Amino acid sequence: MRREEMTYLEAIRDGLRHALRDDPRVVVFGEDVGRFGGAFKLTAGLQEEFGEERVFDTPVSESAILGGAVGMGLCGLLPVAELQFVDFGMTAFHQILANAGTTYYRTANPVPITVRAPCGGGFGGGPFHSEDLEALFSHVPGVKVVYPAFPSDARGLIYSAIFDPNPVIFLENKYLYRRVKQLLSEQFEPEDLGAARVCRDGDDAVVITYGAMVHEALQAADELTAEQGYDVMVLDLRTLKPYDRDAVLAAAAATNRVMVVHEAWRTCGYGAEIVAFVAEQVFHLLDAPPVRVTAPDVPIPFAPSLEAAYRPSVGKIKRELLNLIEY
Amino acid sequence: MLLARRTEERLIRLYHQGRIFGGVYAGIGQEAIGAATTLNSRPEDLFSPLIRDMTVHIGRGETVLNIFRQYLGRATGPTGGRDGNVHYGNLSLGVLTMVSHLGAMLPVIVGAVIARRRRGSESIGFAYFGDGASSTGDFHEALNFASVMDVPVVFVLENNQYAYSTPVSRQYRCRNLADRAVGYGMEGYRVDGNDAVGLYLFVQRLSRKIRHEARPVLLECETMRMRGHGEHDDFSYVPKSLLRKFSRRDPIVRAVKTLVEAGVISEEDFSALDGECRQEVDRAYRRALAEPEPDPATLEEGVYAPRGNDLS
Ligand SMILES: Cc1ncc(C[n+]2csc(CCOP(=O)(O)OP(=O)(O)O)c2C)c(N)n1
Ligand SMILES: [Mg+2]
Repeated sequence: MRREEMTYLEAIRDGLRHALRDDPRVVVFGEDVGRFGGAFKLTAGLQEEFGEERVFDTPVSESAILGGAVGMGLCGLLPVAELQFVDFGMTAFHQILANAGTTYYRTANPVPITVRAPCGGGFGGGPFHSEDLEALFSHVPGVKVVYPAFPSDARGLIYSAIFDPNPVIFLENKYLYRRVKQLLSEQFEPEDLGAARVCRDGDDAVVITYGAMVHEALQAADELTAEQGYDVMVLDLRTLKPYDRDAVLAAAAATNRVMVVHEAWRTCGYGAEIVAFVAEQVFHLLDAPPVRVTAPDVPIPFAPSLEAAYRPSVGKIKRELLNLIEY
Repeated sequence: MLLARRTEERLIRLYHQGRIFGGVYAGIGQEAIGAATTLNSRPEDLFSPLIRDMTVHIGRGETVLNIFRQYLGRATGPTGGRDGNVHYGNLSLGVLTMVSHLGAMLPVIVGAVIARRRRGSESIGFAYFGDGASSTGDFHEALNFASVMDVPVVFVLENNQYAYSTPVSRQYRCRNLADRAVGYGMEGYRVDGNDAVGLYLFVQRLSRKIRHEARPVLLECETMRMRGHGEHDDFSYVPKSLLRKFSRRDPIVRAVKTLVEAGVISEEDFSALDGECRQEVDRAYRRALAEPEPDPATLEEGVYAPRGNDLS
């Protein structure tokens, strides 16, 4: 079978293309996504291929984009709305919290929408173009939250998200867009929402993570093996809500030492849920207190010197892993 | 206008030389708007500039040195390197510091003007935003709010024909955005945003009027974004004919011509001024470059204001 090297960004585009081909109900829209191809050129070529009825630009109106998506989903389309940056989705958060999240529960009418949102920093974007808001979305009942780390997952998950009968917030990491590549074949199987994956085996500790931090964790684990002989498991959650509880418990049971790493803020961050869940369920299996490696509770700083200190790094993860293993 | 132009030209060059971290967003071609409004302002007035408004900062007295410090992420700059490029201001000059979210500063400046006036000052506000921002909910709420509350703010709509790649034809379907003023019960005007002298005279009358009447007004300035959305953007989606049309209406060239013809300045005065601006830009850049970046040890400082720190 023919295989092609694809970046994370190209893989998402390919997933969108497959969905647009496979089902005429799929529509893709947002600010500048049409002929221009979006701020990151992720949707480049889709309007040419599928026409302006299927792939279209909107005014700068996030409430109209998200609220409009809810209406489209309710009445027979499969909308894929793009937020130019996740940060700007906050001007319409009520559309997710109130409309998308509660409608099925209240009325039994499904809201099969997908909201794509570029997240994350590491490129000098400053406080309003670097946010990671997965904890806010994951707090909302009735929505699913996906955050892939690899091109193959990104493609399979965007496809599944589009055909899931629920609102899915599909978080994309900008830092990964052009940095990670994989050889992918033209045909693919959709990935199950809600399934984590062990992407590195080990029994000395587990790093539970997602998005860009999967790559930092893998590198930290490799370096620890080379330098100290420790074997660290890395569990990529892939879906943050509902998350794969079995996989989390199995990883905790197999390693007895649990670390969660995320790029987002610490207090009430996503890691707090995982650590609480592990503590509630398998406290007796733990050989050390669980550890969170996160950004501190400060607005995301612009200057390179500050942002480097802000973002969890391979070095920081390694240091904390050593402390955890040698606790 | 000239100082802003020369500053932005230098920033653009630095960006393409890879010497700027993060992005550069220029207001080249739109300088008349900030110049004409700040020149008609009083010290107590308030401003909320966005990404095309270098002339608002300079017009209110911000130094080119501080602007370079900001773009270079220096610890000495207006945000101490915590934010970058266009995200700076100076409350002591009456300039609020923007967030990126389009429309989001509009209710903020309405509130700011309310506060200043409640505390006895005669402040009016000047809020700058684009055709794209006019599609946000915040725009609607802010104009309605200002109108209902009788808050004198000039909502300066810089209609530069594009919001990133989106032309105005995909942004709104009223004839002129100024027409929306009627719906908020305020006056709306559409003016040539590239005629600095004409705009100056217009805003002079307008600001007198709203100071007197304490009413908001919507002022749509027709202009053109002469560069990409940011310097990363080659703006190949903008028809060359449109750029050519507006380059013939360059606000600086036009203002100089008018002023020379009226005998206010001579060509030599202009050249001398230009030389000074270039020198100032050079000096400021070199000095800012030599200054320190923020110390990573300060990362977690200053998230909360200490007790008793309600600066006003
Ligand atoms: C609420 C919100 N949505 C999206 C963006 C991303 N964005 C930044 S600038 C821009 C276009 C702005 O166009 P306009 O308001 O006309 O201002 P101009 O850039 O033309 O000066 C967009 C869509 C944003 N900053 N805020
Ligand atoms: Mg515009």
